[in-house]
Amino acid sequence: MKLVFYGGGHESENLPLHKLSVELTQTKSPTITYIPAQSYGAEEDFREFVKSFKKLGVKKFLFSPVDYQMSDVLKDEIFNSELIHLGGGNTFYFLYYLRKSKLINRLKTYARSGGVLTGLSAGGILMTPKITSAGYPYFDCDDNDEGVTNFKALNLVDYEFFPHYKNSKRYNEVLEKESKKLKYPLYACPDHSGIIYNQGNLEFVDKCYAFIQGDRIKL
Amino acid sequence: MTTKKISALKKSSQKWDYQKFDKIDGSHPLKKEVSDSVVEYQVRSRPGGQVAVFNFQLAKDMGLIDKNHPDELTPELEEKINETFSILIINEFDKEEGKEFPESEIKANTYMATRYLQMQHPNKQGKTSGDGRSIWNGYIKGRKGITYDIMSCGTGATKLSPATHIHNRYFETGDPSISYGCGYAELDEGLASFFFSEVFSQNQLATERILAIIKYSKNISITVRAYPNLIRPSHLFSHLKQGNHGPLKKLVDYYIERQRKNKFWESAPQTKSKYNYFLQKECEVFAKLVAKFETDYIFCWMDWDGDNILMDGGIIDYGSVRQFGLFHHEYRFDDDDRYSTTIKEQKSKGRYTIQTFIQLVDFIKTKEKKNIKEFDNHSLLKKFDKIYKEEKLKLFLSRIGLEDKQCEYLYKYHKKAINNFYQTFCYFEHAKSKYGRHEVGDGINWSAIFCMRDILRELPQLYLSRGKNINAKEFIGIIQSNYATEEDLEINNYRKTMIKKFQKSYWFLIEKVASYFEKTQQQVLLEIMVRSSIINRYDRVTGDSITRIVSKVIKAKPALSPDEIYQTMKDFSEYQNFDPNNPGSLTSKPRRPKLLKSMLKIVREHREGL
Repeated sequence: MKLVFYGGGHESENLPLHKLSVELTQTKSPTITYIPAQSYGAEEDFREFVKSFKKLGVKKFLFSPVDYQMSDVLKDEIFNSELIHLGGGNTFYFLYYLRKSKLINRLKTYARSGGVLTGLSAGGILMTPKITSAGYPYFDCDDNDEGVTNFKALNLVDYEFFPHYKNSKRYNEVLEKESKKLKYPLYACPDHSGIIYNQGNLEFVDKCYAFIQGDRIKL
Repeated sequence: MTTKKISALKKSSQKWDYQKFDKIDGSHPLKKEVSDSVVEYQVRSRPGGQVAVFNFQLAKDMGLIDKNHPDELTPELEEKINETFSILIINEFDKEEGKEFPESEIKANTYMATRYLQMQHPNKQGKTSGDGRSIWNGYIKGRKGITYDIMSCGTGATKLSPATHIHNRYFETGDPSISYGCGYAELDEGLASFFFSEVFSQNQLATERILAIIKYSKNISITVRAYPNLIRPSHLFSHLKQGNHGPLKKLVDYYIERQRKNKFWESAPQTKSKYNYFLQKECEVFAKLVAKFETDYIFCWMDWDGDNILMDGGIIDYGSVRQFGLFHHEYRFDDDDRYSTTIKEQKSKGRYTIQTFIQLVDFIKTKEKKNIKEFDNHSLLKKFDKIYKEEKLKLFLSRIGLEDKQCEYLYKYHKKAINNFYQTFCYFEHAKSKYGRHEVGDGINWSAIFCMRDILRELPQLYLSRGKNINAKEFIGIIQSNYATEEDLEINNYRKTMIKKFQKSYWFLIEKVASYFEKTQQQVLLEIMVRSSIINRYDRVTGDSITRIVSKVIKAKPALSPDEIYQTMKDFSEYQNFDPNNPGSLTSKPRRPKLLKSMLKIVREHREGL
C-alpha cells in the first residue's frame, strides 16, 4: 500500500508532500481525485488544490465532495484514478458521509490494490484504525454533530494519526495520556509535515513525533 | 485577552451615530412630483416590536450606519430601527370608526402607498390598486451617491388592497377575517425574502433587499425593503390604462431622472429624445432579464400588468418567486382564482411589457393613446427577440464554464454550431416525465426529469480523465433526476443520436477554444471543470429549500439572536455564490456551524425541486 498522511496547512506549503505523493504513483500523467470532507467551501479548496498540483505537472483531476450524491459513473471513474486525496475538515462528518455513500470498502480495496491514497488532517485520520484522535484534545477537537458512535475507519495502518500538532505542554499532556490507551503508536504531525507509508515502510517528512505508551519521541 | 477581542469590545462600547435614520420620515419626491400616483396616510408608532434581523452590509451601503460599525445590534441601534420602522398607518377604517390615537404616537409627516396596476383587482385599469399592505418610508442617499427608496410591508391595510374592492368596504388592520387584505405581513415570508434576495444579490441579480425585519407576537412582522428605485412597470401602466397623460409623463420623467442621478443612465439625454433612450434601455433590460431567468430557472410571475418586477428588472415581492432545481417549465403557481404564467411564458410576458412601453412612449409623445395591437410589428420587438436570443446563447456558453473571452470568440465565429448545441441541450433540459401533470404544494407541475447542471459539472471531469466520450447509459445515469421514472430513462435510437450529438458539440467547442487560444484540450477541459464545479454546484438553493430553511431558522434552539440570523444568512448566501470569477470568501468557522450544516443538507435534499 502507498499512503501519505498530511499534518495539515495550506496547499502551497504542502508542495513537498504533494511531490512525494505524485512520485508514488509512478505515472507520468496521473489522474488525481480530490474528495473534500464537506461541500462547504470545497470548490474554492479544489481550485487551490489544482493550482498546487499543476505546478508538479499534473493535468487530470476528478472532484467529488463526500456529501454530494455523485453519479455512479463518476464514482467508478474515481477508482480508476492513480491517486485519491481525502481532504481536511470535520472527521466525524467525513466518516458519516463516506459510510453513507458506501465508499469505505471501495477505498480500502483501492489502497490495497496499489492506488495511492493520501489524506490531509481528517483525511489522514480516516486511514487509521479508528478516528478517536478527532475527539481530543478538548480545546481543539471536531464536533460530533452527526452523532457517530462507530469510530472504526479504513484501518489501513497500525497506528493512529494526530494532525495539526503543536509541540506544547497542553497538547503533550493529552497525547501522552491518550497514547497509554493504545496498543500501537500515535503519530503526531504539525502542519506541513507528514508520513509516507510505502509498502509497509514509514518515512517521516519534517518534524514528526511519536507518542508511545505515554512517552513522546521526536522522529 | 487578545488584541482582537479588546478591539471588538472597544467597538461595541463606542457611541455610533444613527442620525441618518431620522431622514427616513415619510418624505419622498414622488408625493410632490406625481401626486396622482400616491395615497398619503398618517402613521403612528407601533409598540411591541423587536428587531428580528438587521442587514448591516446593506445599511452600510446605504450610509445608514458607519462603515466600521460592527455587525452587532446595539441597544441604541435597535431602538432607532424600532423608532423609524415600527409604524402602522391610520387607515380609512380607523377614521370611519372615529378611532383616536395619542398625538405623541403620531408621526409628523404622512407616508405614501403607491398606486399601480394589479391584475388581481376587479378594476383592470389600476384605479383602485397598488400597495395594499405596504408604505414607503422614504428615501436616502447612500455611500456611492446612489439614492435608495425604502418601503415597509405589513404596516396596515390600505384602501389599495384587493380585499377593499372585492368586498366593497374598508378593513381594520389585522382583521382576522381576511388574510392578505388585513395589512399585516408574516415573519416567515419576510425571512424567506431576506435569504432569497441575499442569495440572488450575491449572484449579481438585481433584487430588492431586506434592510430589517421587526417581529411582533403571533408571527406578525414588518419587513423593510430597500432598492435604488422601487418603481415598477405597473406604476406607469396604471396611468397608461387610464389615459392619464400628465401623470404618466411626470412619472416617466421622474424615473429617468432618478436613473440618471443614480448614475445608472448617465448618458440619458435631457431632451425629448430621452423617451427613445428609455425605450431602448427597457427593451435591453427585459430581453436580457427573461433570458437570465430562463437560464437560471428563476420563476418570477410576470404578466401584462407589469407587477412583480421593477423597471430595471429587479426582483420584488418574493411571494411567488422561485428558483427551480431542474427546468420545471410546466410549473404554475396557484393564486387562488388563477394560475400563474410558466417560466417559458416569461419571455412573451417580457416582450408584451416592452410592447406596452412602446405604446406608452407613443402616448407620451402624441398624447393619443393607440391600441396596443398597432405596435405588434414594432421594430423594437424584433430587437427584443434578437437580444433575447443572443443572450440565451451567451449565457449557455457561460454555463458550460467557459471564460468570457472564450464565449465571445465562440459566439462571434461559431454561432451556428453553438445554436445547434443549444438545441440538443434543450432536448434534454426540457424533457418531461411520463407521469404527467400533477398538483404540487402551491400549484401544478409536470416534472422535468434531467439535471443538466450535473452533466455540465461531471462531463469535463470524465473527458479529462478518459479523453473520450462516455456511453449513452452513462450519460443518462448522470443527468437522471429523482423525478424520472424507469420509462422516462429509456434509451431509444433517437435519444442515442442526441447523446452523440451533444458530445460531438461539446468536443467541438473544446477543440475550437483550444486551437484559438493556443492551449491543449486538456488545459481547456481543466479550466472548464474548475469553473463549472462552481457554476453548476450540486447544491443550489431552490424555492422549496428556502421555505424549509426559514422554518429551521425560526425554530432553532436556542433561538437565534438578530446578529446570528444575519451571520447565518451571510454564511449561507456566500456559499450560494456561483460566480467563478469572484467565488467570495467563506468564513472558515461559521457562527452556528450545526445550523448551517443542516441548512445545506436541506438544500441538497431539495436541489431538484421547485
